[in-house]
Amino acid sequence: MHTQVFRTVAPVALALLLFLALTSSFAQGGFERSLERVKRATVFVYQAETDGNNLIVTCISTGTLISADGLIITKANGVVPSQRCSGDTLFISLNVDLEEPPIPKYRADILNADAGLDIALIRIARELDGRLIAQGELPVLPFVALGDSNGVSIDDNLVVVGYPDIGNEPVAFSRGTVTAFLAEPLTGSRTWFKTRAEIPGAMAGGGAYNTAGELIGIPTNAPLAGSAAASNCRYLNDTNNDGLVNSSDRCVPTGDFISTIRPIALAQHLIRGARLGLRVELTAATGDAGPRRALPSVSRVFIAPSVRDAMPSTVVGSLPSNTRNLYLFFDYNNFSAETVYELRVTRDGIPDSTFSLPPVHWSGGERGLWYIGAREQAWANGAYEFTLLVNGAGAGNQKMIIGGAAQDRAHFSDIVFGTLDQAGNLIGNGSIVPLGNIAYARFLHANMAVGTPWSAIWYYAGTEFARTSDAWSEDAFGSKVISVDPAGGLLPGEYRLELYVDGALSATSDFYVAGQQGSPLPRVFSNLRFTSAESLPEARLGSAATSYPSSIPALVALFDWQRIIAGTPWTASWLVDDQEFFRYSQPWLGQETGSDFALFLPNPPDGNYELKLLVNDLLLLEQSAVVGIGQLPIDRFAEFQGTILTGKVVDAATQQGIPSLTIVLVSEDYDASEFVWNQEQVVALATTDRNGEFQFARPLAFDTPYSVVIEAEGYIPNFADVFDFDANQLGADITIEMVRG
Amino acid sequence: MAFETGRSPAVQITQRQRWSIAFSYMLILGGLLLGVNQRDGLLNQTSVYTNNSAGITASYPARWLLDESEETVFRVRDMSHLGFNTTIEVRSLPVGADGAERNLLDHLSLQRSQVFIDYSVLGYDTFLLPDDTQAISMTYTFVSRDASPFLEGVSSIVNGLDILAIRRGQALIVSFRAESSIYQRELETFHRFIENLEF
Repeated sequence: MHTQVFRTVAPVALALLLFLALTSSFAQGGFERSLERVKRATVFVYQAETDGNNLIVTCISTGTLISADGLIITKANGVVPSQRCSGDTLFISLNVDLEEPPIPKYRADILNADAGLDIALIRIARELDGRLIAQGELPVLPFVALGDSNGVSIDDNLVVVGYPDIGNEPVAFSRGTVTAFLAEPLTGSRTWFKTRAEIPGAMAGGGAYNTAGELIGIPTNAPLAGSAAASNCRYLNDTNNDGLVNSSDRCVPTGDFISTIRPIALAQHLIRGARLGLRVELTAATGDAGPRRALPSVSRVFIAPSVRDAMPSTVVGSLPSNTRNLYLFFDYNNFSAETVYELRVTRDGIPDSTFSLPPVHWSGGERGLWYIGAREQAWANGAYEFTLLVNGAGAGNQKMIIGGAAQDRAHFSDIVFGTLDQAGNLIGNGSIVPLGNIAYARFLHANMAVGTPWSAIWYYAGTEFARTSDAWSEDAFGSKVISVDPAGGLLPGEYRLELYVDGALSATSDFYVAGQQGSPLPRVFSNLRFTSAESLPEARLGSAATSYPSSIPALVALFDWQRIIAGTPWTASWLVDDQEFFRYSQPWLGQETGSDFALFLPNPPDGNYELKLLVNDLLLLEQSAVVGIGQLPIDRFAEFQGTILTGKVVDAATQQGIPSLTIVLVSEDYDASEFVWNQEQVVALATTDRNGEFQFARPLAFDTPYSVVIEAEGYIPNFADVFDFDANQLGADITIEMVRG
Repeated sequence: MAFETGRSPAVQITQRQRWSIAFSYMLILGGLLLGVNQRDGLLNQTSVYTNNSAGITASYPARWLLDESEETVFRVRDMSHLGFNTTIEVRSLPVGADGAERNLLDHLSLQRSQVFIDYSVLGYDTFLLPDDTQAISMTYTFVSRDASPFLEGVSSIVNGLDILAIRRGQALIVSFRAESSIYQRELETFHRFIENLEF
């Protein structure tokens, strides 16, 4: 009997304990305490355009306030004008009542955006009717703290907060765990967080929070174009002016449920640039990529067990049990930030949501080699099929078996490129080779039996130009160096080497030829210098310096370049006080050689600035300059702490709120009796609303005595007692009674 | 049964009582006069503002909040009014060789139209300053509303009056703003301010 009861009760008790453990981890982490603030900081964003006298909503997003002065982070797709979202005006709805839908209050401007990352920074800049908000006139708004997304682990709890519908529902949240990290070339092993939290598509652009209530990521998606055929598209406006709102009209895409989250670490440079108000302009002619006509395509899909400098270490057809690293590589062509791609993974014919990537915007370049995979995560045994979809259509697939024992197969791996020094050693960085006559490649080989047929094929700009085939005659294990010397020497551009063992692709890697021979790195960029000027011609004539006074009109970085062909991936990374605030990472579009490429930074605040130039993610040149005292001013808004004082002023006789009454908060340096009606003595002013309620627009310091003075017609003046707020008292609500007299 | 009616005999007061009554009336009247005098004194009590660098001296109503921000020479506001706080503001602007008074007022209007709700100019006129020099005035109206997005703020219709005079290459703009319902009443306060303004 006891055993039966135990058998019945034990699973229930165990489940209960597990549930309590899960829920208490949120409570202990303080998330419940932060939830109200997080909800208040969550905004709803309408993107709209004007058609005659009609305002048409083109896209919607959730967003999150990340500073008290109205800086909002959201998804780029939804606010930045594009084919799908063509609106040019952003309306911000605030969460005035947590139990009600948000209310439109302001307009916002775009400060920074990265369509590939699908993250945008916008700032509240206008009243709802379009009037500018003067500097300092915007009330202090609730905002959330940014967390460390690099500290997130698999199975960590997270909460996603956003608006689940098209602005007609109150803010909602969804709990879940981090189920996987997906990796792509741009950002290492944490390009995406995967979660099983149920996140409606309209919550895209909102916030994903850790147990401490800190923002660690942005849920994003790529809804299909706003057409009647698209799924999850809502009809809000009579866009064809036929007097009806129906499926003939253009709809607002909301997208399917979301399972991907962009880590906040990937947006740090955008956030920093937006916070500091820094916008870099590339003023030198960079050429024009021209209209993109061909459709995006995918080819050469294969799998690698590891990645080295964004290249596959080797190519495999199967992997053993306990596989923890797997990367799907593919060549892509004619892609853009508008391209939506998707990876569907099945195991034994059953969809595997953990490693699948739902439709997202493309974050890479126009063409090249790409990968998506997972590192240090368990892959169960089974027959896997990987299917790539581009803009909703199948574009390529690959199958592979995971399971069984590791095989001692003959293979090549870890190709690096360079030149030889006088002693015959390979030198260089592995992925960039300077102009010359010969390029060398070194690779590792394993389990190679003598006589095994192998071959090497070299490509330039996608076209084969050299091939060697032979029978293996060296040791089974070791490294080997091969070379290629094309007729006419190495031209600048993109090269590829493919190594085959017994007719099967075993290893492959790409490299770029650019710049002149340098030591130790190729000289692609040179003469990097800083000047200060108001215009580009003036900057080119100006003399270079490394120290500038405060309040210069602009800091201009200039450099020359040589032998870099259009399409070569290059990056300009600008830092201030060792923190990146600008990153331009695109294929080179300019001429092969030239001078005075300029990056223009208007109105730089004091700080220590550093510009880094990279090709194919390899740092080639850097230079720094100091402005003013060489240190950024302290951002008090970003660090502020204090109490938000709210309250109500009532008539002592009727207990009714007194509207339109002004409350003066006197500085801690004065008693109320010492107040002589001078603004210098005033910390803040507040005015009661029609219910007699008020809110001071700025936070009040902890453990600081304040006094309140009220003089109102018809009432006896009220010199209220000293207010003092304990540390960590985030809000205080007081009632003040006024006596008629 | 019949009732007899009759008049009570007249009350005779003494000479001393007559003086007492007269003295009481005089005391009450004196108190009233003193009260009125004190009230006027309190209502018209002023504080003096002096700005040597701008060369301005002014008397403004006592217990109005004085504010010397970067944008204005100074500003005073009546914080006791329930609604828009009646405001007097003095600004100084540099004037170019080609700048006329009307240009400056129009420029002000353009700026205000960007930040004031329903800003509208009502008209222009001339204004005679206490030293008998002529200035230009502009009346306007707009709507004031508390900016907090989390409160149900009350809107007020505000009337404004700018007086602009150019002296020594500088334009002095004295602005007066009050809720439209009390604008005429408060205008007296502004006229007293102008009468005592030295610049």
